[in-house]
Amino acid sequence: MVSKVYPMRSHTVSAEGGAAAVMRPEDSYQTHAFDTIKGSDYLADQDVVEAFVREAPVEIVQMEHWGCPWSRDPDGKISVRPFGGMTTWRTVFAADKSGFHMLHTVFQTSLKYPQITRHDEAFVTKLLVEDSRCLGVVALDIRTGRFDAITAKSVILATGGLGRLYAFTTNGNICTGDGMALAYRAGAGLRDMEMVQFHPTGLPFTGILITEAVRGEGGYLLNNEGERFLKRYVPNKMELGPRDIISRAMTTEFEEGRGFEGPHGKYMHLDVRHLGEKVIDRKLPFMRELGRDYLGIDIVTDPIPVRPVQHYMMGGVDADISGATEIAGLYAAGECANVGLNGGNRLGSNSLAECLVFGAAAGRAAAEHAAAARPATANPVDAMLWDEARRVEGQYLEKKGGQERIGAIREEMQRDMDAGAGVFRTKEGLEKLVEQLGGLRERFERIKIEDTSRTFNTEIVAALELDFMLEVAQAVVVSALAREESRGAHARRDFPERDDTKYLKHTVAYRREGLRPQLEYRDVTITNFQPQARTY
Amino acid sequence: MSADAETHPAPRLYRWRMPANWWTRNRHYFLYVLREFTSLPLAIWLLWLLYDISETRLVQPTAFAVFSIVCLPFALYHSWTFLSLAGSIIHIKVLDRPVSPRLIVASQFALWIGGTLVIGLLLLWLAP
Amino acid sequence: MPDKRITIRATRYDPDKDQAPRLQSYDIPFYDESMVVLDALNYIKSNLDGSLSYRWSCRMGICGSCGMMVNGTPKLTCNAFLRDYWPRSITVQPLNNFPVIRDLVIDIEDFMHKLKSVKPWIIRKQEIPLGAGEHYQTNEMIDDFRQFSECINCMLCYAACPVYGLNNEFLGPAATALARRYNLDSRDQGLKERQPIVGDAEGIWECSFVGECSVVCPKGVDPAKAIQQTKLDTTMRFVLPYGNRD
Repeated sequence: MVSKVYPMRSHTVSAEGGAAAVMRPEDSYQTHAFDTIKGSDYLADQDVVEAFVREAPVEIVQMEHWGCPWSRDPDGKISVRPFGGMTTWRTVFAADKSGFHMLHTVFQTSLKYPQITRHDEAFVTKLLVEDSRCLGVVALDIRTGRFDAITAKSVILATGGLGRLYAFTTNGNICTGDGMALAYRAGAGLRDMEMVQFHPTGLPFTGILITEAVRGEGGYLLNNEGERFLKRYVPNKMELGPRDIISRAMTTEFEEGRGFEGPHGKYMHLDVRHLGEKVIDRKLPFMRELGRDYLGIDIVTDPIPVRPVQHYMMGGVDADISGATEIAGLYAAGECANVGLNGGNRLGSNSLAECLVFGAAAGRAAAEHAAAARPATANPVDAMLWDEARRVEGQYLEKKGGQERIGAIREEMQRDMDAGAGVFRTKEGLEKLVEQLGGLRERFERIKIEDTSRTFNTEIVAALELDFMLEVAQAVVVSALAREESRGAHARRDFPERDDTKYLKHTVAYRREGLRPQLEYRDVTITNFQPQARTY
Repeated sequence: MSADAETHPAPRLYRWRMPANWWTRNRHYFLYVLREFTSLPLAIWLLWLLYDISETRLVQPTAFAVFSIVCLPFALYHSWTFLSLAGSIIHIKVLDRPVSPRLIVASQFALWIGGTLVIGLLLLWLAP
Repeated sequence: MPDKRITIRATRYDPDKDQAPRLQSYDIPFYDESMVVLDALNYIKSNLDGSLSYRWSCRMGICGSCGMMVNGTPKLTCNAFLRDYWPRSITVQPLNNFPVIRDLVIDIEDFMHKLKSVKPWIIRKQEIPLGAGEHYQTNEMIDDFRQFSECINCMLCYAACPVYGLNNEFLGPAATALARRYNLDSRDQGLKERQPIVGDAEGIWECSFVGECSVVCPKGVDPAKAIQQTKLDTTMRFVLPYGNRD
């Protein structure tokens, strides 16, 4: 296992709400599948969804066996709670720190297996690929500055999302789209990159996530007139509507002057005072801590200020139902992959379940592939390692001159992405963003590196991450430009309707040196659910 | 395999050392060391008492009385800190619900005061 | 409104150049009341000195990466507000009691080793099959160990513990709290297997209940309580044989 941070720091740790699965007799695979497909605005591959909903309950029980402290009903069975876009209660949770408990459970259980070797704080700079076959990775050992080639017959990318492309995001510092950029540069396609999810309830300034479970437990979203404004947008689901529709609703309300004004932008009130202290302490204790620590408020007596914030990436490395990419031996799972589950918009609590199901699927497929594959020969790997080590050293460690600060380029990219590729997009905004990204890439070639040490050089890491981010940002923006409709989280002011005749397809972006990415389109797989109008 | 592993030995770690005055840098550390230190005057007091018992008389009554008064605050602090922590250490359940730590601490202090009263009255009753 | 400023003094140490760590001063704008020490470090790295090295990720007190000494107290820098220190300067140093790799980055391999040594996984005599569904467990049963399961591995407790500072062999607060978390989990039957490490002289018995670990813990885990309760439990098991249930 190769990770640029120690495993307990992976961003899964911050996930709060829960993992969705069919756990109750009154629920059904068909309903979970339909909710997911409708939630995706019919961009999901329905065969993948149908397989997913069958595996999710199995993985929930596996986690429980490994010690995950799922919250319980009085009869001792695993509890479920309501969540956005789900027609019945099916979100399994561990208080409001589901991701924390899941990550620590998996990590601690993995310590049991001496067959697992870990390379902690190793930053993968390149995939080793020859004849469209993946042979391993080149990783920079952050601590010593040494480059290692780690050869493997199968490689699984599980590198998470790309929130740090945006200035206002729930994502931690490490979410820089590394796996997506690595696969992209190796020749794999990036699918549906225009589909970026904005979560309705982030804290202003920090962007810290306030879980959807707050609304699941009964919280109200109120505008500056004290109105539960969602009755004008999603009257049947109200606060439990899907994230893309609610984020657009809030943004529209802001534009029409019904948002609260604050030092860090406009916001709405998320009110849980009516739930009472007992429910809050039992179901939402972490939210109470966050309110207290970061805002000095007590959510028992004060409403929470919230605004839409970048949160999740539906797009990712083009992979099939077993995580296989078009490069033999390269697999992808979790947020960095796009297996066709979430389509244009992900329902809350499907992501943690996705990690479990497709992590397992990719693991099994990768193991099978490794058992049958022939090992890599030393010669090409040696050469590739030396080339890569020289490239990074030459480009960064031994760089002389340069005037641009990494932080300045990164912050400008983030502001530009927020403005041009946010909740609502326009052709002009996206075209301008393509230009801006081009300008930033040019400036990136002239960055200044002040840290000349080999030991734990985090400036090189920041430069490598910015390199990856500029790469994937281009795929996001060009894909968004080309999709001239509004579907799921991709909302075009100039094309406000969904267009199934032209765009019931996946966008797949391929890298081209010095040019805009090449876009190809692939039909969505439809099995049982014909696309309908998406209202809640 | 590694590129140029020979030119990249593990970096020289800086080994942190606790300064000798570590316990003066923080109020909590100081109170902790004081708490531990109280065992010294108490030990000396007990040895002195044992000596007097072995001589079956108070060898130097005034000195012993003065020393006892000096040791009293140390003894009280020792007992106070020890009993205050009982709530943290003792965890019992009555009828499936955990007993509140405050109740446990209160019971310990109650036992202490009760025990002191009993022994005090006994000594007064036995005094010639 | 005049711009507020604040001085940050941060430890610098490059093993290739420095014999020992030294402090470097930076003067930065204090541009928002919600700024935390981590924001200050990020400002320095982005605008003043790209060579300052430190760990961070989630910035919301859940990943455990950003623990450092702030004016002599171990804190998560994502949760240490500049307004609580201003106008005094803030000194940021790597966590005490750990070897320093570079600047504010410490070597945590000892902790990782100790974490693994307490066998932090469900140990059962007989696994139940997946098809049998979940183990029976209630929220009250989870409450028995919930507090000890909240540890984010930030190691502030190890930085606060003078016993660990004087003796690196000590198992330490977080590892012991994690052992207790599993020992108290109704699904686990591994108490005896953990005993050799936990009940060792360098385990719980090295602790003399300074209590500072629990004072600095940002998640309220109360590892001091975990250790003392483990001492009591271990003693009772030794003294009262009928208490030797698994």
